[in-house]
Amino acid sequence: MTKARDFFGLVFSKPWVRALSALVFVALLGIIFNAEGTFFKWSTHRDMLRQVSVYGMLACGMTLVIITSGIDLSVGSVLGLSAVLFSIATLHLAWPAWLAIAVTLLAGIACGTLSGAMIARFRMQPFVATLAMMVFARGAAKYLSGGQKVSTAVAQADGTYKYVDLPRIFSLIDHRILGDNIAVVALIFLGCVLLCWLLLAKLRWGRYLYATGGNEEAARLSGIPTGAVKLLAYGLSGMFCALAGICQAVQEQQGDPEAGTSYELTAIAMVVIGGTSLSGGRGGILFTLLGVVTIGYLEKILSINAVGEASRLMLTGIIIVAAVLFQKTKKA
Amino acid sequence: MAEPGDRMVDTLLSLRGIRKSFSGVTVLDDVSFDLAAGEVHILAGENGAGKSTLIKIIAGIHTEYEGEMKLNGRPVVIASPHHAAELGISVIHQEMSLVDSMSAVDNLFLGRELAPRGWLDKSSQRVKAGEFCAKLDLDIDLSRPVEDFPLSVKNRIEIAKALAIDAKIIIMDEPTSALSGPEVEKLFRIIAELKKSGCGIIYISHRMDEIYAIADRITVLRDGRTVGTARAKELGEDELVRWMIGRELKAQFPERARADGAGGAKDRIKVEGFSVLKPDAGSHGAKRWLVKDAAFSVKPGEIVGFAGLQGSGNSDLFSGLFGAYGDRAQGKVTLDGAPFRVKSPEHSIRQGMAYLTNDRKGTGLVLGMDIVQNITLASLPAVSPAGWFRQALEREIAARHMGALRIKASSGGQEVGTLSGGNQQKVALAKWLETEPKVMLLDEPTRGVDIGAKHEIYRHMNEWTARGISILLITSEMPELLGLADRIIVLHRGEMTAEFPRETATQEKILRAAMGRIGTSKGRS
Amino acid sequence: MFAAGTAAFGTLPAGKKMVIGMSQCNLGEPWRVQMNADIKKAAQKVPGLDVVFKDAQNDTLKQRAQVEEFINSGVDLLIVSPKEAAPLTPPIAEAYKKGIPVIVLDRKVLGNDYTMFIGADNKRIGLAAGRWIAKRLGGKGKIVELKGLMTSTPGQDRNSGFRQGIKGSGLQVAFEADMKWLEPDARKEMESALAVHSDVDLVYAHNDPGAHGAYLAAKAVGREKNIMFVGIDGLPQEGQAYVKQGLLEASFEYPTGGKEAVENAMKILGGKKGLPKELKLESRVFTKANIDKGGELLK
Repeated sequence: MTKARDFFGLVFSKPWVRALSALVFVALLGIIFNAEGTFFKWSTHRDMLRQVSVYGMLACGMTLVIITSGIDLSVGSVLGLSAVLFSIATLHLAWPAWLAIAVTLLAGIACGTLSGAMIARFRMQPFVATLAMMVFARGAAKYLSGGQKVSTAVAQADGTYKYVDLPRIFSLIDHRILGDNIAVVALIFLGCVLLCWLLLAKLRWGRYLYATGGNEEAARLSGIPTGAVKLLAYGLSGMFCALAGICQAVQEQQGDPEAGTSYELTAIAMVVIGGTSLSGGRGGILFTLLGVVTIGYLEKILSINAVGEASRLMLTGIIIVAAVLFQKTKKA
Repeated sequence: MAEPGDRMVDTLLSLRGIRKSFSGVTVLDDVSFDLAAGEVHILAGENGAGKSTLIKIIAGIHTEYEGEMKLNGRPVVIASPHHAAELGISVIHQEMSLVDSMSAVDNLFLGRELAPRGWLDKSSQRVKAGEFCAKLDLDIDLSRPVEDFPLSVKNRIEIAKALAIDAKIIIMDEPTSALSGPEVEKLFRIIAELKKSGCGIIYISHRMDEIYAIADRITVLRDGRTVGTARAKELGEDELVRWMIGRELKAQFPERARADGAGGAKDRIKVEGFSVLKPDAGSHGAKRWLVKDAAFSVKPGEIVGFAGLQGSGNSDLFSGLFGAYGDRAQGKVTLDGAPFRVKSPEHSIRQGMAYLTNDRKGTGLVLGMDIVQNITLASLPAVSPAGWFRQALEREIAARHMGALRIKASSGGQEVGTLSGGNQQKVALAKWLETEPKVMLLDEPTRGVDIGAKHEIYRHMNEWTARGISILLITSEMPELLGLADRIIVLHRGEMTAEFPRETATQEKILRAAMGRIGTSKGRS
Repeated sequence: MFAAGTAAFGTLPAGKKMVIGMSQCNLGEPWRVQMNADIKKAAQKVPGLDVVFKDAQNDTLKQRAQVEEFINSGVDLLIVSPKEAAPLTPPIAEAYKKGIPVIVLDRKVLGNDYTMFIGADNKRIGLAAGRWIAKRLGGKGKIVELKGLMTSTPGQDRNSGFRQGIKGSGLQVAFEADMKWLEPDARKEMESALAVHSDVDLVYAHNDPGAHGAYLAAKAVGREKNIMFVGIDGLPQEGQAYVKQGLLEASFEYPTGGKEAVENAMKILGGKKGLPKELKLESRVFTKANIDKGGELLK
């Protein structure tokens, strides 16, 4: 009996096992409440991955920032700003897609880097600096869009509307490839995961992120440019937000200045369920991938069973607490 | 007024047979201490002699101990700092215990606000606070937050706080360490007033001048025991130093080929007019620097020891040299004959410097990372050409150091936070060795390390000097200092007071210099 | 469509200037942005009429303060689109008693101390949508209802009116979910509905973005041709545009009343008597067939 306990103790002391077990639990829920077999359809899983991709991109940036022991509250707003920028560029200004994408990415990186500069250079607390950016970026999104959704109906000077055709880039991204089996948006998300994985596991600057989050002073005294490390983390987070904003816009076929409201909380929840600790220095992008998929399945299962909003919120809260408590019980 | 201590008129506080241990290590053993009304009683001893522990018992911070404490002749058990304050015991800490963001008035009444029926009586508080401050010649706007005031004023606000609780026993722990000359005199006048009003003052100081300027009696602690108590007039400086040291040096250090200090070798590092400013320098009345005008040089393969008591500025000197303080550190530094600009740790590492800090958990290691990652932390560019890690190389480097330094761990993947103190320290040393330094700044390299590991570290230091590495060493352990260093430099409150070659250095000389007496310097004025 | 010229609004005496204060509870929704735009557009046609807009950012107390500011600055007429009835009743009553005419738009306040209420009726629109859909489907079919926030009055009314409208027909609501007025959520919920039900005939969404999100979900699985999509609000750049582009089968207008508010403001300022205390706004339905003629009034 003790042997069995030792075995389980050993297995569960591995962080990835703990992160995976939350996912397994949610998957079990899906198998039990399968909505007349809907859960077993391939398209359910395919759609889940697409639905969760925009959040997932935000969670990628959030993971990098949280590893440096920071937080980025601005991700949802920067997503909204990016969606508006991209829509204005493509729909209203009819810019070529590559230019619109480049400008949007640059804007996202600029937002993130600005937050990073406030934190690294002026020693503002990440919570405060990114809170300011969250409010500012939302304001910028509303300013640029005039408070209205930026869609294919373009207002003319005389008050009438002209309808423009949806540019090809919209259908290119909001589209499934590989025999209709995976959405381009989901591929972009997986690309972000791959990028983060390379950075965190294979590149020198990834180690810098961990060291800065684990013990900033020790890192600085070891010659690590901790200020630049933070700029990188927040700048990349901004870039992922911009990508997410583009993906959101093509899926909505419009740029909604309200897009991404409160997405930052979902992104944080995904990172935390994966097991990356908010205190920094630990965690990894594959954990976040597990967290993203866990929340994705949870939402999907609740949705196909047409569970009411009230129960959904309560259930999601319980799952987050349960998952994090489970992470905590290591070395018990 | 009668000489206190002549007639034991009013013994305010008396401690008998105090014994205290932390997780099996005895830090106080049969300590006795008396404090009379109207006296200044100096508590002296080297770092780690047990002074702070004793103070903490009196202040109600440590409540578990053996022995007896009597207050005004009656046995007493002090249950908490709050209780101590109620009994009229006040501690003025080195690190100010004021709440910076609150006003002087609010600080004075913190925890004992005048609040009949729960409502703050602000006007009475203001009036009373004004009275206390007038006694101390403190003419300030009491409604301003205390962070607006210079240290000297804060220091007096602390004393006012003691007056406010009507303290009869005031404990001052190095109260002058941050004060300038005139401010110190002002403090001494206040102390004289306090004595007249019948207060007893326990005073901790590392400064010879100061001790003899205000002491009525002196009690010396050494290794957790009372060496003795004597009237200041009857205890000469030499005797005091002997009381504080009082141990035989044991030959426990591995032999090593000494660097020829006077020989033809060129200086590895030469420092002239080196000062480190305080971060909030500028406030009047307080010292503006942590280190002032340091000047020394170190040859290849030489170990130069830096000695000093608390507040000496040795660690700040190292941090400043290494670039950790940025441009707060100023002065001329030459490295192998070339000018060296103090800029940042990054720059210093590239130039061949390494800095082992005295706090390996706080500033030395990233505890959540594994051994391999910590060892390569300061030399990451070398193991990741063009930014990509060569993990095999990284593991190989770590394995080499783990073997050479005999770091005991299940594997290189073990988290550093789970290692023992000695092994953690070896990991920190390995990190710096891997940068292939020319100069190593070692601040307390054997702190919190068991005997076995200590000796290994000594042996390794010999190997490194044999390879031509220069070592600057801070240690608070006298035997270590005398056993390892080729030369010893002593700092007292940020200024160099002596420099001894190994042959002429003695514990007595070092301690006197560390307490502010200018020592015999080797060809330096 | 916007044929109303200067005459419809009346004119101010030559050289006379008048100021209307407009307190909007929240500009976070396109519909309310449109309301302001409608007021602005109508007011521009009256020379000498100036409208000052204030946005309370969904904060009741802020709106209350803004109404008081308008009273103090001595505007000639006040238009208020209140966030909540009770807290805004006293300041509106105060303005009214001080002789400043007040037009309350969209949501009512308590009591009678205002000049005129202008608003549309969500329940009536829901009912009309229900009847229209029952007729369109020939009284038979499977429906997905994508609801707005069910804790909000418009969401509740658009739901209950609709249910009343389809009562007695053979229509069946097979799947319902709360999409919180948000397009991405609507798309998500619709994907679930499509996965569970292979034979959906029509989607009734409580707003046009919801219907649009559902359309995109159906399009992603190639089922958009077999399903009709109906939304509510009929804003020019949302619902009307979607109908024009053939994405939605119909959009039911929820009029902002901006134009009507300015029209009646001019009448009040012109001293016209016998105006109604309450003006129920007419609502239109936009379909592919009538969109170019400006929609069709609901009876």
